[in-house]
Amino acid sequence: MPVILYHWEPNANSGKPMLTLAEKGVAYESRYLDLLQFDQHKPSYLAVNPDGTIPAMVHGSRVLTESTPMMEYIDDEFSGPPLKPKDARSRWRMRWWMRFFDSHFAPSLSMIGWSIFVGPAARQRPQEELRAAIDRIPLESRRIAWRKAVFNEFSADELAESKRRVLSSTIILERHLSRSSWIAGDSYSLGDINGFNLGYALPLSQPEHCNDTKTPHIMEWLRRIYERPAARETWAKGRTPMAARIKILERGPGA
Amino acid sequence: MLELYTSEPNTFFLKPLIALAEKKAAFTSRYFDAGALQQFEASFPTDLESSLQLEREGPVLVHDGTIISSSFFMLEYISEALPGESLMPSDPYDAYRARAWGQFLGAQLGSIVPVLGCAKYLAPQLAQLDRSQLERQIAAIEPSERRIGWLAQLNGTYSEAYVESVRERLSMPISRIETALGREPWLAGTAYSIADIDAYAMLWVLPDLVPAKVNPTATPCIVDYLLRIGARESVCAALRTSHTGHPERHFVPGVEAARWG
Repeated sequence: MPVILYHWEPNANSGKPMLTLAEKGVAYESRYLDLLQFDQHKPSYLAVNPDGTIPAMVHGSRVLTESTPMMEYIDDEFSGPPLKPKDARSRWRMRWWMRFFDSHFAPSLSMIGWSIFVGPAARQRPQEELRAAIDRIPLESRRIAWRKAVFNEFSADELAESKRRVLSSTIILERHLSRSSWIAGDSYSLGDINGFNLGYALPLSQPEHCNDTKTPHIMEWLRRIYERPAARETWAKGRTPMAARIKILERGPGA
Repeated sequence: MLELYTSEPNTFFLKPLIALAEKKAAFTSRYFDAGALQQFEASFPTDLESSLQLEREGPVLVHDGTIISSSFFMLEYISEALPGESLMPSDPYDAYRARAWGQFLGAQLGSIVPVLGCAKYLAPQLAQLDRSQLERQIAAIEPSERRIGWLAQLNGTYSEAYVESVRERLSMPISRIETALGREPWLAGTAYSIADIDAYAMLWVLPDLVPAKVNPTATPCIVDYLLRIGARESVCAALRTSHTGHPERHFVPGVEAARWG
């Protein structure tokens, strides 16, 4: 059965199944959706995922739309190197950290990212066209998110709280990686794939908090993942300067 | 050694009690009064992950020294680590569905039901206590994400308009669950799983908290589902652990509502 993956850039939620499939050596048919052109809210895609969120994976008659459980499915369903630890405690730790990334760290980081990248990029288009595009978004929570990003409606308090959380989450992650070489323990797992998609550009977007002096363990962890052939292959699929930010992880002389 | 730090068997606390009973696992219960903030006392087991408590409040399972927190992943851990029948579907796609439900229910019911329960029960209970002492206790709570959940009990957050807006947010998840149960008997397909335990622990109080939304006419499939799960011996055993006789009146602040999007 072929695998079809609907995705945007190798970044955040889209990058999670892309990197997981690459690690497992599973070939897939790529359907690129341009998030900034609202491709994910067009009828052809809503026929696949009525919620209009990306990514989505179609495997035969099975449709999967939640990126983190999707990674576990890819690991469970396909042969290839296992991406979950053997013991239940480590698997629990992997899942705990994936939820921390998804529900705590990522929303704060993405609020900042959308306020400086997605919003200004979307505002290049006429206002009426944007309003109509947002009105077509199926989920109310996503309509609210897009309105806030596109019309720059984040309050100073909201942004300040997100910045505080990005800093505190970075410190927590550094503490964790100073006691454990990978997210779930001794072996590379889905937890690292998840965290890498969230954090690969942290040294560029948060240079004052994430650097070789303050967060040496995060830096080393990101570089080790970047050196994996699957990560190289996946980020080579990027089409925008956003994905190209990964170059920050090239080891310079002495790094 | 298996120890469960738990409070009244409702919402987050009810989940592992049901799963442990399904597994017929022997464990030591460490009961604490969550409404009296005993989980912040120095003797409570804590580490990097459990101090954050992704759900803000909830049970803690200590298995041979390892601290397991976060209730849905605790269910998955119990299913995988303890002997007895698996509580996860064996088919990878059904397992995906169970995990996708866990994520959806955590974000939706996990953030909505505790607000409705706290507004009706916890906030009025706390209002009977010495306010200055309570304020001192809450001010000492770290991290701030957890402190905010307790401050909401005292600072007038639960206005009628606010509670009504939260009640309205229930419509989407309730309708999705009702639709799913109209198609199949269990959330992840043909077999009872941790997704059903997760859902039950939040849904069973809704006929009391929102009778207009969850009742035999509006949601016949959910009402039938609650009866089917409520009849299981594991659920009866879990509810019998109550020290008050009224677990359905005990709530703690839950998952933080999405801050945007």
